[in-house]
Amino acid sequence: MSAPTIAVEVSLAVAVLVAWICCLGLWLMEDFFDKLHFMAPVTTVSMFFVLLAVVIETGWGQATVKTILVLVIMLLINAVLTHATARAGRIEEHGQWQPCSGEKVSGDEKIPALQNPPREKSA
Amino acid sequence: MNAWLLAATVLLFALLPCGIVGFRGPAMHRLVGLEMASLIVIIEFILLAQGMGNPNFYDLALTLGLLAFGGGLVFVRFLERWL
Repeated sequence: MSAPTIAVEVSLAVAVLVAWICCLGLWLMEDFFDKLHFMAPVTTVSMFFVLLAVVIETGWGQATVKTILVLVIMLLINAVLTHATARAGRIEEHGQWQPCSGEKVSGDEKIPALQNPPREKSA
Repeated sequence: MNAWLLAATVLLFALLPCGIVGFRGPAMHRLVGLEMASLIVIIEFILLAQGMGNPNFYDLALTLGLLAFGGGLVFVRFLERWL
């Protein structure tokens, strides 16, 4: 068994293992925002190791270019989609996505009462 | 069966936890399960493309990535506004 073959198999194993761990984490976490975090390693670590395996196997060709394109698309899409999903989850939980009155924010400063009262959802 | 197809087969079962999350619990939790399933299937298409030696599957992965983005945003906006 040659070194490139071993490298490909190890890369694929790492990619699949990370994806599996993230899927189990998604299942086992109770909190919505905890679940969201497990989407990131799939798009970064797993995809990177799949790309590495493709590069080792095929060199710089059509497959590599398309895999890089998929990686870039997944990076962009996951960032936007995770933000939008977290925003929607917070709106569902608090009625707004800005810090609520009395809620602690970074810097341990509290928002004065009634500065950001929860708003009604649009009909 | 080469390493790519073996990896694709093992990864296919990672859709089970995503499916469990996607079929149970509150609507927002289900949406996260759906989004994760989309990511897994995109990787699955790449592994299958390489394993079967069929470059057309790369285009499927690209298309699914773009469509999953649009679909996910539509679901997010729907849940944000109406539920």
